[in-house]
Amino acid sequence: MPIGITWRGTNPLHADRCLNIENLLMEVVMSATEIDAAVPESGAASRRIGWLYGGILLGILNTFAVATYAALGVSRNYVFVDGLLLRAVGSDLPTTNTYLSQRIPTSFDWLVMLAIGMVLGGFLAALLKGGLTTRAVPRLWASRFGDSRPKRFAAAFAGGFLILYGARIAGGCTSGLVLSGVAQLAIAGFIFAIAILASGILTARFIYRGRAS
Amino acid sequence: MTAAALIIGQINDAAQTATEAAGTVGGTNTKALVAGLLTGIAFGALLQRAGASSFTMIVNMLRLKDLTIMKFLFVAIATGSVGIYIVDSLGGIGLEANIGIAPVYLLALTVGGLIFGVGWALAGYCPGTALVAMGQGKIDAFITVLGGLVGAFTLVLTWDYIQPTLEGNFNYGNKSLADVLGANPLLVALVMAAAIVALVLYLNRLDTRKKATGSPGTDKPGAVTSSH
Repeated sequence: MPIGITWRGTNPLHADRCLNIENLLMEVVMSATEIDAAVPESGAASRRIGWLYGGILLGILNTFAVATYAALGVSRNYVFVDGLLLRAVGSDLPTTNTYLSQRIPTSFDWLVMLAIGMVLGGFLAALLKGGLTTRAVPRLWASRFGDSRPKRFAAAFAGGFLILYGARIAGGCTSGLVLSGVAQLAIAGFIFAIAILASGILTARFIYRGRAS
Repeated sequence: MTAAALIIGQINDAAQTATEAAGTVGGTNTKALVAGLLTGIAFGALLQRAGASSFTMIVNMLRLKDLTIMKFLFVAIATGSVGIYIVDSLGGIGLEANIGIAPVYLLALTVGGLIFGVGWALAGYCPGTALVAMGQGKIDAFITVLGGLVGAFTLVLTWDYIQPTLEGNFNYGNKSLADVLGANPLLVALVMAAAIVALVLYLNRLDTRKKATGSPGTDKPGAVTSSH
């Protein structure tokens, strides 16, 4: 594919403007991870990028995404994958269901690739900088509920169910409505941000009540 | 703005409207797909390096024990807002179609947000950070993604029953803060960014104090009893 070649920058004559900016941006992101974060935490956290540099870079990436294709967003892609799976098993829901037929595309688009890229990005960053792990039960969870995998998986599954059910009701998640939405000054983003923080903070304080640290 | 820029903007707008009709976002041609993948890799890597894909960092943010991720998100919003509206004010690239202000369905946003918050605290991930954490190999994040697929499927199945209530009432249209204030969006973005900077500085002070005196049981009266 010609685009794959120009992306690697082997032929500057055919270089695509957008993709070269993107290349540059990846370099900025990767080099900025060298900055020793001023986060006063122990262990793995000390090799992280600080919230200030990280936040500025994410804001620039958000601007770049909007300027080139669209705003960063994730949650719609879960419904897209459902549609793919349904078509794979021969279900007629993708054409008969209102939500799937009216709001979810049948072909891969920029936004679907963004989600695939995020999985890869998480993998690559962890591979290069440390953080690859197969841990199932986070230490903080274990300190409250024990080491039981089924227990943690049940909560992780229920949590996943609720974040996607809620996000699709609202029309977006932390990415589409808060990170992108509030940056775009969308009133919807402010309302959703207040709702998720209020509900999330109350729930977390309830779940981990009585724990000191 | 030059005439050429105007024309480019209109072509871009027209193309965008055509693709929006099919429900796609950002285009389906090879260039758009490659760009989406690369943007996603940068997004995922950045979230991972900032610690946003960490269960502990998210949950401790919601417990108000460590506000790192909140500061990260707020700085990103401030930078993005100013960035987007600077680029927008340059004009001529049909940015309005890319911005696409979300509609204000007050009921849907509130109910959806409250449900989301409960799931967020339970899972310790949001839909995006679950993908990043899954990429790192975290098994519980993979389970969260599975739960998300089932949750999204349940929404699809129940949509016809809940949609009339959620989107039929309290619909205020695709409004931005700049529309409501009747002000220049870049000016509003700059004022909001200044407010966010002030808020982040305040949060940082709280956070530093919390971490400095961060030995268990010193910050909250209720915490003392828990050590017994």
